[in-house]
Amino acid sequence: MEWLMWFSKPENTKPLALIIFFVTFIGIVIYVYGSKKRSAKLESYRDIPFLDDQPGDQDGTKDKQ
Amino acid sequence: MNFNFKHEWIETNIGLMAVLTMLAISVGGLVEIAPLFFIDKTIEKVEGVRPYTPLEQRGRDIFQREGCYACHSQMIRPFRDEKLRYGHYSLAAESQYDHPFQWGSKRTGPDLARVGGKYSNEWHVQHMVAPRSMVPESVMPNYPWLLSTPLDISDTANRMKALRKVGVPYSLSQAEFDANVTQFGETVARQLHIPDAQKNLVEQANFGNYDGDRSGISEMDALVAYLQVLGTMVDFSKYTDDAFVEFR
Amino acid sequence: MAVTTYSGTERYNFDIVKKFAVMSLVWAVVGMFVGVYIASELAWPLLNFDSPYFSFGRFRPVHTTTVIFGFGGSALFATSYYVVQRTCQTRLISDGMASFTFWGWMAIIVLADISYVLGYTQSREYAEMEWPIDILIEVVWVTYLILFVGTIMRRKQPHIYVANWFYLSFILATALLHTFNNLAMPIDLFSMKSYSLFAGTQDAMTQWWYGHNAVGFFLTAAFLGMMYYFVPKQAGRPIYSYRLSIVHFWALSFMYMWVGAHHLHWTALPDWTSSLAAAFSILLLMPSWGGMINGIMTLSGAWDKLRTDPIMRFMIVALSFYGMSTFEGPMMSLKEVNALSHYTDWTVGHVHSGALGWVAMISFGSLYHMMPKLWDTKIYSQKLVEAHFWLATIGIVLYIVAMWISGITQGLMWRSFDEFGNLQYSFVESVVEMMPFYAMRAIGGMFFLTGTVLMTVNMLMTIRQGKRESAALDARLAAKMAHA
Repeated sequence: MEWLMWFSKPENTKPLALIIFFVTFIGIVIYVYGSKKRSAKLESYRDIPFLDDQPGDQDGTKDKQ
Repeated sequence: MNFNFKHEWIETNIGLMAVLTMLAISVGGLVEIAPLFFIDKTIEKVEGVRPYTPLEQRGRDIFQREGCYACHSQMIRPFRDEKLRYGHYSLAAESQYDHPFQWGSKRTGPDLARVGGKYSNEWHVQHMVAPRSMVPESVMPNYPWLLSTPLDISDTANRMKALRKVGVPYSLSQAEFDANVTQFGETVARQLHIPDAQKNLVEQANFGNYDGDRSGISEMDALVAYLQVLGTMVDFSKYTDDAFVEFR
Repeated sequence: MAVTTYSGTERYNFDIVKKFAVMSLVWAVVGMFVGVYIASELAWPLLNFDSPYFSFGRFRPVHTTTVIFGFGGSALFATSYYVVQRTCQTRLISDGMASFTFWGWMAIIVLADISYVLGYTQSREYAEMEWPIDILIEVVWVTYLILFVGTIMRRKQPHIYVANWFYLSFILATALLHTFNNLAMPIDLFSMKSYSLFAGTQDAMTQWWYGHNAVGFFLTAAFLGMMYYFVPKQAGRPIYSYRLSIVHFWALSFMYMWVGAHHLHWTALPDWTSSLAAAFSILLLMPSWGGMINGIMTLSGAWDKLRTDPIMRFMIVALSFYGMSTFEGPMMSLKEVNALSHYTDWTVGHVHSGALGWVAMISFGSLYHMMPKLWDTKIYSQKLVEAHFWLATIGIVLYIVAMWISGITQGLMWRSFDEFGNLQYSFVESVVEMMPFYAMRAIGGMFFLTGTVLMTVNMLMTIRQGKRESAALDARLAAKMAHA
């Protein structure tokens, strides 16, 4: 269990934490921007707010009948 | 990402998303707050800091009730101008019995961390009743009701008991009292003994006569008693300038 | 011939959205009125009237609670219920729970305001409510969480739209912050009074961890959720980049929680804590601006809407103020700048450029978009919207400029020395210098309040118009049926 003590020192855990967080961040960025196909898929979700629209809703001239 | 990770798992699974969000938002607080409770360098070791007497604590309650913290800080920063204006910078130890802290965030009025002893009781009373009679340019509200409202002392012991539960060394038993004698000396320890709370409060108010009116104990008595003890507990002439640096 | 608008009661629960939307305007007027009043008390102390119930110290939390939790909170309840239903294309899972959150939240605001005036306060900024009210908040909040998550689980749309992520992180973070910051020991089960579980340094750190994240999640993440739905809807075009929203969501959620200690620079808090907070504050600029860019660029290719559509203008100005105050914030968290700005009016100005400029403006824009739809009609008067926009913008500018000048003046006066090395000014001399700016700030507030009153009138007229139209429609339908 000696190796656990390595984690108790701030001078070890600080860079370790930094590396973990940075790698996670880079991972997210690569995931999000890395592939064209995935990008297209992700961007398709932009339209969700418009999916339950009624005809004529967009320009605010909705007919009441 | 070889295991075919998909952000869509998160985007389509509200439980997973909630867990990951919780993780993301918990780290910062944990890293910054938790160590403060364990690192012994958070609070300096200094002599003289003691819990408030019952009367002072009641004054503190009134300070809180009136929202004084909205305009007055109690936290002097280590700058030359603040030292000249207010005194030695505030130590963590000086607010170690403050539940809650009253450091404040705004100085519409001056800092009060070391206001104790700077003005006479009479000055405080008059200033509280009509600030502009003492400082014509002041924008402080008048607090005339503090002088006319008798202090409610019926729940003093209850208040001290609640504070004892959150860690203030007020004593209930003989053993706790003895421990306080060792730590703070006998005069102080007597003031911290909960069974005598009401008696101690009345004695201090009558002896100090903070509001200048001997006929009864007003809220003003308590508030002035509190203001007069602020920042006076540590004798800084005993310490060198560098004594507290390692705690910063 | 059946009227199948989406305001039909079967498909979505819009009743709860309507209630919260109306109350958010009511609280806006009340809270901003109290704000103008306490600002005037600082300029003209006479207004304290020697009365405990009107004095600045007790009145200030009435202002902050009513605008943040009354106005902001109700606007968030309203929009989150609206957005979650429409983007998940499903109804809230329980009308009863929704109703409970409404009445519970209203009771919280009323009880909190009354209790402050009577002198019950925890003296924790933006969390002044005493313990019984805190427990009520906890119950309402858990109900809100269950209702929100439950509705998402029942969604018909496989993907969870990004606005809902922001609302979710706001609900979770607020639950976490509220719980830990309000741990306290009541003096008696039948007494409102309690003492904080923590003391001194730890207490200060806990409070500002809460205090800044109330800004970060209640006043930012949640309103970003609002932005991610209503800006695209009002612009009639999808958000600029969905991928950017993913990156900035995780970055924002992770980083905000670190920055609270920048409220405690140069205090008795250990240096490492506040330095760490300062570092994260600087980093936070990136995700903040990610959100702003995403919102503003949504309009790219349709910039002419800024000229023609006052609602769009509310939203874009809101995003601009968001960008400005998330730049000013990191700057003020630099220790050297903070040494000057802390304890002064600069902080107050900064808060209001965020609160009025970002939070209130984006809420106004969203409510202007949403409320006519809820009542199935058009806005009563576009001219009033236009007037509101200008009153609000002028009000904010007056407010912020006044506070910049007074704040920096204070900071400089406090630290200036004469040729002998003594302090050049007494404290009260700095107070005297503030007076014109305190008056200017109060006037700026009056402008902003007037705009809000105009909006409330406009929306009430809109609601009346909507009700009349639907009554007329019903009458016509009934007549038709009778003929048939």
